Amino acid sequence: MRIAYSLSAAVAAALVVSGCKGSATETGMTPSTGTAPAGEVTAALAATPSSGANGNPANAGPGEWTLPGRDYGQTRYSPLDQITAANVRNLKVAWTFSTGVPRGHEGSPLVVNNTMYIVTPYPNNVFAIDLTKPSGPLKWSYHPTTNPASQGEACCDVVSRGASYADGTIVFNRLDNHTVALDAETGKVKWDIQLDSINHGSTMTMAPLIVKDKVIVGNSGGEMGVRGWVAAVDLKSGKLLWRAYNTGPDKDVLIGADFKPYYPQYRGADAGIKTWPGEQWRLGGSTVWGWITYDPDANLIYYGTSNPGVWNPDLRPGDNLWGATVFARDPDTGAARWAYQLTPHDSWDYDGVNESMVVDLPIGGQSRKVVVHFDRNGFGYTIDRLTGQVLVAEPYQFINWSTGVDLKTGRPARVPSKETHQGVNARNICPSSTGARDQQPAAYSPRTGLFYTPTTNLCMDYKGIDASYIAGTPYLGADVQMYAGPGGNRGEFIAWDAVHGKKVWGDKEMFPVWSGALATAGDIVFYGTMDGWFKAVDAKTGQELWKFKCGSGVIGNAMTFLGPDGKQYVAVYSGIGGWAGAVALAGIANTDPTAALGAVGGMADLPKYTAPGSTMYVFGL
Amino acid sequence: MRLRLMLALLLGIGAAAACDRGVRSEDVGMTSSGIAVSRAGTTGGQAVRPGIHPAVVFGERVNPYTGNASAIQDGRRLFVAYNCSGCHGGRAGGGMGPALRDSAWIYGNSDTQIFGTIVEGRSAGMPAWGKVLPEDQIWKLVAYIRTLGTAEEPDKVLQ
Repeated sequence: MRIAYSLSAAVAAALVVSGCKGSATETGMTPSTGTAPAGEVTAALAATPSSGANGNPANAGPGEWTLPGRDYGQTRYSPLDQITAANVRNLKVAWTFSTGVPRGHEGSPLVVNNTMYIVTPYPNNVFAIDLTKPSGPLKWSYHPTTNPASQGEACCDVVSRGASYADGTIVFNRLDNHTVALDAETGKVKWDIQLDSINHGSTMTMAPLIVKDKVIVGNSGGEMGVRGWVAAVDLKSGKLLWRAYNTGPDKDVLIGADFKPYYPQYRGADAGIKTWPGEQWRLGGSTVWGWITYDPDANLIYYGTSNPGVWNPDLRPGDNLWGATVFARDPDTGAARWAYQLTPHDSWDYDGVNESMVVDLPIGGQSRKVVVHFDRNGFGYTIDRLTGQVLVAEPYQFINWSTGVDLKTGRPARVPSKETHQGVNARNICPSSTGARDQQPAAYSPRTGLFYTPTTNLCMDYKGIDASYIAGTPYLGADVQMYAGPGGNRGEFIAWDAVHGKKVWGDKEMFPVWSGALATAGDIVFYGTMDGWFKAVDAKTGQELWKFKCGSGVIGNAMTFLGPDGKQYVAVYSGIGGWAGAVALAGIANTDPTAALGAVGGMADLPKYTAPGSTMYVFGL
Repeated sequence: MRLRLMLALLLGIGAAAACDRGVRSEDVGMTSSGIAVSRAGTTGGQAVRPGIHPAVVFGERVNPYTGNASAIQDGRRLFVAYNCSGCHGGRAGGGMGPALRDSAWIYGNSDTQIFGTIVEGRSAGMPAWGKVLPEDQIWKLVAYIRTLGTAEEPDKVLQ
């Protein structure tokens, strides 16, 4: 009794000490007694995929999955064809693995050299599962000392979107802004570099992309008044090679002589300053928390930037470059080649971070090198990936904020009644801030020429309110409530013709489809639902062929691999969370529709269908 | 027997020191580890008080604004102005931080406990506001938080 009591006192003392340290020195709060600290506020198609463009890195086999979207172009297409439309009905659970972290499981595992690699949500543990032995023992596991205070800086659950593999190295990001490289065989740390600080709200949730000898990474925190960046770290040494900010002067954005944007509004010096009031660009968000893609032939990487900060658009008149923008950069130097702003002066939190898939498509009688990008703002874009010219921009889900994109100017035509302003509750804006689609990535099958993308059908009321910048706390200035869009189905999984900008088929879902797609040479497409179904549908028709009810909602990205037994398996995480799924997590009350940045309004019934989980399912015939 | 005697002695010393600062006697058991004795000798007789329970640190406090409608309204305004709403939800239903309008309270929901959490911060990301907010404003925030989900809650969400 006495010993126990003393122990608890000692533990309590330790908690106090570490708690004080964590609070005082690591979250780095600088609020003053005023609301605005001085100096910090201002106010099927006959598609012909190219052989190399979206191809795997040379060292990856057909049964492996080494990069977040399998190939550089992030097509999420696998040439494996053992599982087909004819036999998928026989798919069964082969084995499962619990990560032990009951938070949102976005991203997917990797499989390399008969080993499966998993990165968990915070605290970002890493597991290496030996696929060659019965019961799948761990080769190793890695448990980093990720700063617990980082949980309080992550806008939309403490997710990780996975890792990348190259040259015997697994690279992933910790929530507290460390990029870490582990020896794939031993789990030993090769290097660990801290690239930003949670003190002003930055976190890292994205999956790195390894391009040649460089690791491309970026930060999260568009809701926290951070300044977004993308960076390259040397795969061998872990040294920072370059960093490009997405707001501010050209020298910071790495805009130089090579920058040749297609549209004239992006030319002229220092647009990353001039399209903002005062110094607001310093708090301008435009982060890089989505996916990076790469075209080896052109030697260009592609990525999109998040919403410009702050959410209340009246506080930042101007186009707010380079927020909600797709960039093409030289991965060797970081130099920008072109940029295209998807949503000028974003007024709805339409981040532009979704992947730009690298494919070649027949457009106007010739094969065009393009990226296909399903944006939060609801448009499916087909963009010339060498020049940045928009070739196709059509809505892939119901939208009402814009009547269309003028391909001559690249600018969307905006609907005045859907603009958002300070003190005005703008009603029924579609899509909601969660977008017609969020980060959950699409797949592309060269066999059908179709793109398969999850979508969300939520609309919202959005009211601009005052915002005070207090470092390390949310910088929003908006009161948002979401609800189901037209038809009542809050999600749909669709097939898209990116040549003509047309939906080919769609499978409606009760909740937003928040899981990434997988297309295979078996002409089937896999995706999961927030109420826990994992489904296989016919790639040509969308007809449901098979489904399995997982233990928790599926917001992870399906992947497939060949086991050591030569058989094809399909794997997916089950673990509800993320932004739209946050309401099913502990600590969120569905009695406040403005909770979780407004998502709870549209998702209040989710806890009736699912509860937190942390399981990876592997299915086989 | 000897152990018991020592414990009683320790508790006695602790209690005396605690009474000097107006801390309730039930809290002084925290000082019975033995460390307290040696520390007591070097800190002018004040026992070490590990503070997992805010009442140990601050004493049991009474919110001067309980039931004061205008202070509660101020608390609501401060809740938005200091970006509490960004983390805990527009009407405190949660998000980056936990909901404050449900029945689950990791660190307790008495006036003193909520006050302690705001002042000290918590390790999973709750900032420590004690050095930057006047106590007066913290009590208004506490007053607002205590009304969540009740008839007195100001600025209720329109559905």
